[in-house]
Amino acid sequence: MSVVLVLAALLAGTYVVAVLEGWASTGRLRPAGPLVSGLALLGRESLVPRKPDRIFFEVAPPLLLVAAVLAAAVLPLAPGLIVTDLATGALFVNASFAYVMVAVLMAGWGPDGAYAMVGGFRFLGQLVAYSMLVVMPITAVAMRAESLLTTEVVTSQVSLWNALYQPLGFALFFLAAMAIAFLPPFDLPIAPGELAEGVLAEYTGWRLGVMRFGRALLVLTLALAVTVFYLGGWFGPVLPPWAWTALKTLAVAAVMLSVGRYVPRLREADVLAWGWKYGIPLALVNIFYVGVVLLVAM
Amino acid sequence: MTIPLSGSREARPFPLRRLAAWAAARDLAAFIVPGPDVARTCGIDLDAAGVRVAQTPRHAGVLVLVGELPRGLKKAAAVAYAQMPRPRAILAVGAGDVSPLPEPDVWVTASQRELAAGVEELRRLFAEGAFATEAAGFDIEEIRMETEYVCPMHPEVTSDEPGSCPKCGMDLIPRESAGGAGHEGHDDAGHGDTDHDASDPGVLVSHEGHGSNDEMDYQDMGHEGGGEDSGGHEHAERGEHEGHDEMDHGGHEDMGFMSMVEMTQGTPRSSDGLQMEWTGAPFGPLFPGLPGGLSLTFTLDGDTVANVTAPRGALGWDLDGLETAPARDFPDLLALLDPLSPTAYRLLALQALEDAANTVADERTTLERVGALERERAASHLGWFSGFGRLLGYSWLEARAGQIQLALLRAADAEEVARQETEVGKLVRRVYRTPMLARRLKGLGTLPDTAETSGPVARAAGLAKDARSGGIYRTLDFEPVVREGNDAVARLWTRLAEVEQSLKLVRKAGAVCFPQGMLTSPLRSTGSATVETPRGAATLRVKLQGDVVSATELTTPSSLHHQFIGAVAEEREVADALLGVASLDLSPWGVAR
Amino acid sequence: MGQAVFTGFFGAAAIWFGVVVFRTSSMVRSALALLFSQAAIGAMFLAMETEFLGVLQLMMMATEMAIMAIFMVMYMMDPGGLGGMDMTHQKRASLVAGALGAVAALVVALLAGWGPVATRVPAATAQVHDLGIEIMERSMLIFETAGVTILTAMIAATAIAIRRRR
Repeated sequence: MSVVLVLAALLAGTYVVAVLEGWASTGRLRPAGPLVSGLALLGRESLVPRKPDRIFFEVAPPLLLVAAVLAAAVLPLAPGLIVTDLATGALFVNASFAYVMVAVLMAGWGPDGAYAMVGGFRFLGQLVAYSMLVVMPITAVAMRAESLLTTEVVTSQVSLWNALYQPLGFALFFLAAMAIAFLPPFDLPIAPGELAEGVLAEYTGWRLGVMRFGRALLVLTLALAVTVFYLGGWFGPVLPPWAWTALKTLAVAAVMLSVGRYVPRLREADVLAWGWKYGIPLALVNIFYVGVVLLVAM
Repeated sequence: MTIPLSGSREARPFPLRRLAAWAAARDLAAFIVPGPDVARTCGIDLDAAGVRVAQTPRHAGVLVLVGELPRGLKKAAAVAYAQMPRPRAILAVGAGDVSPLPEPDVWVTASQRELAAGVEELRRLFAEGAFATEAAGFDIEEIRMETEYVCPMHPEVTSDEPGSCPKCGMDLIPRESAGGAGHEGHDDAGHGDTDHDASDPGVLVSHEGHGSNDEMDYQDMGHEGGGEDSGGHEHAERGEHEGHDEMDHGGHEDMGFMSMVEMTQGTPRSSDGLQMEWTGAPFGPLFPGLPGGLSLTFTLDGDTVANVTAPRGALGWDLDGLETAPARDFPDLLALLDPLSPTAYRLLALQALEDAANTVADERTTLERVGALERERAASHLGWFSGFGRLLGYSWLEARAGQIQLALLRAADAEEVARQETEVGKLVRRVYRTPMLARRLKGLGTLPDTAETSGPVARAAGLAKDARSGGIYRTLDFEPVVREGNDAVARLWTRLAEVEQSLKLVRKAGAVCFPQGMLTSPLRSTGSATVETPRGAATLRVKLQGDVVSATELTTPSSLHHQFIGAVAEEREVADALLGVASLDLSPWGVAR
Repeated sequence: MGQAVFTGFFGAAAIWFGVVVFRTSSMVRSALALLFSQAAIGAMFLAMETEFLGVLQLMMMATEMAIMAIFMVMYMMDPGGLGGMDMTHQKRASLVAGALGAVAALVVALLAGWGPVATRVPAATAQVHDLGIEIMERSMLIFETAGVTILTAMIAATAIAIRRRR
């Protein structure tokens, strides 16, 4: 039963994220937008490029979807409302996000086009930059919770949200989350101006619909992960827990979607350099800091 | 029964499909030919009409043709049309004959109101005709491919039949090249399906597969395609290496097996030190990151540009009748040369003719001309900001600059233009304060010091070259805007300052509409003039025979800057190369002649 | 019973994907087949109720194999596999090595003293806790050494790759 509820909540959340995405890019709020676009996409032809690597071309969109769903499956929406409360939940979230990269790589190689290829390999470079910055803040979060259970991570924040307890980790994880979802300014694989939509360039019709849906779901899942790990999950006065999770998640998603409009796209060399030269030392400092605070507070 | 939509999808219109058709009508996405820059200059705003702008024809449902298109662009547009998934339609905005494309579904003139009406009409057509029981196919020469068989290790060995290579014994693999008959279909196609991924000069490249004739591309460097190129590709990307001095072979001693290391030994190394295969990829003429109509072919070494070929005159643009035009029609004809800055060229023609007639326009006319020219300059620079913002991924700039540009072009008098000054000021300050922008653009697009340039490109290199110095501009307290740096950042700052300066000049001139010149009979047989167009100084020399223009000699700033594309793009990463080319602000129309 | 079925299924999948690695001539397919082979092993771990190991395996292999895909494309000719090149080399030596390896593995599996079969598996949360204690107490030296060795290798590789400035 909770599985059905969670999936329904994810579906609703993805729809709202798609509306937010439309609003962020055009400035107009169109509540029926995703529905109309989805129907229109279903009605379009789905063209296959002339000589694709067929397996990769077909598998990439569903894999993107599956990776996002798997990550969402271990994140709690409210006390008791979780698909599966894995004992290694926090780590599993990271594992499933790694398959996002595999999906984008397949989408880059599959269609046999120069733009998609450059986009796919750029994303791999981006992964090398952000992957540490996902795991290390999660480590610090797990340290405070003294468990990898995502529900424990939420309950450990009852006194103070992790965003305030470990702000450095919060900032790093937020940026890394934007990079996983390849949102601007980390949208190297898509790069609308430079690569004519890069990895998405060759997808049309219902396949494009699946890719877009998968990406919106990914944004939602990442926002949910940020909420669970850093913003105290379902805690909050007055409203029921699931409402707080929803509000926080959608707020995070809105910020993620709109920040990129005001900054130029980051060069891949810069992303790699900053990720390794500044990001990782800062993440280590964060772990050290959290460790010290935990020991002192005991 | 006539099919309501030129690009219907062949299927019976079941109720669910009707729903999809209605949805397609409400969710229109347009691919603009030659590009959104020309669309804005013509004063049309697709976004305000409720149509999204797509970056690639594959994500679009409507092909929007703006203005008269040269022959080469029409062919490119046809290939883009072939790439669009059905249902699809064509909207012609002020365009003439558009063959080889099918008849446009909706014709409008270049005004926003007509555009809105046209879009409504288009929606109606989509809702009715998205699915039809009989759909027309679309087949053009460029998307037919013929197959030949080539050895992956010895690209010079080709044959029309499958077999094995006489040199190394490997099986010949099929490779397709343009021009011929032999194409494959794909799923979901309707009758007469020719909508496969075409090797197109516009947006997307289709190759025959991974891995085949890479050697061909690196050995045969003259391999330009202008688009009809089917280069093989496989790359690998990067890591963060800065170079290898030695590479290990890893123990491959089997015969007939060659590692990439051996194959690329001795070839020149790209700037990031990574040794990779070379692939040709066309970027243009309908590429979203470049000015519409500019056609480049990058030979990519990984993601670094190893080589650029930029053919001139690829658009096939010939202005008939320019060379035997009666003098009174000449300014209008010259204005058609460059849809991105018609006023500047009209002024150029008028001044050249006035020089031939040995007359000088009175002060009031000259002031009005200044106002019109400066308004166009401001609008052109804003249009450039919009395109540059799109290339940078800076969506706010793309949107805002485009809006202000449209407002400027629609302004009826100097009052309305003056109202935009505050908006422009805000935009300029915001761009200056954008984080990471200067860092992103620093060092991109640098030209050698000896390069002969003009316009903002020259002024960004510290040279105070401006054809406006002197004459009436001195009475308006004009000083050329000069910056140091000679790179993309400096050009951006230069153009930002010039926009503000131009609006001030418009305010001082007090008029923005171009006055019609009165031409008296020319006394001399030659005349010449120079005008500072938004992109640089353009010079025109005319020879007259009586009342008729007999010969013209025109130098445009874009033809001057075109030769620097290689210097700006080579040995740079793709994104940096595109930014460098964009910073030159080329007008492909000015290059075609 | 169900557990044995799943373990066997994922094991067979791992072997099958491993075979695909060499049967295909496309480099990228080969690398990604190896990825899925390793992921199947991770799934095996999950089926055997070692949750942490399973999740760790899934996570690490995704990233590692994708990076391997890049290297394969970079260093090998014809990554698309259209030339139909044979992916196997040094056939005799590898057959011998493979056979020896299989024998060694079987010997270890059958003859090593594994101790009594565990009839009850600790709960996943307890496993995570015990694993943590183990790493921090008894096996700390091993993991520290491994970690420092990897770090040294990373630094050395980067240093070698940098072009020497004269």
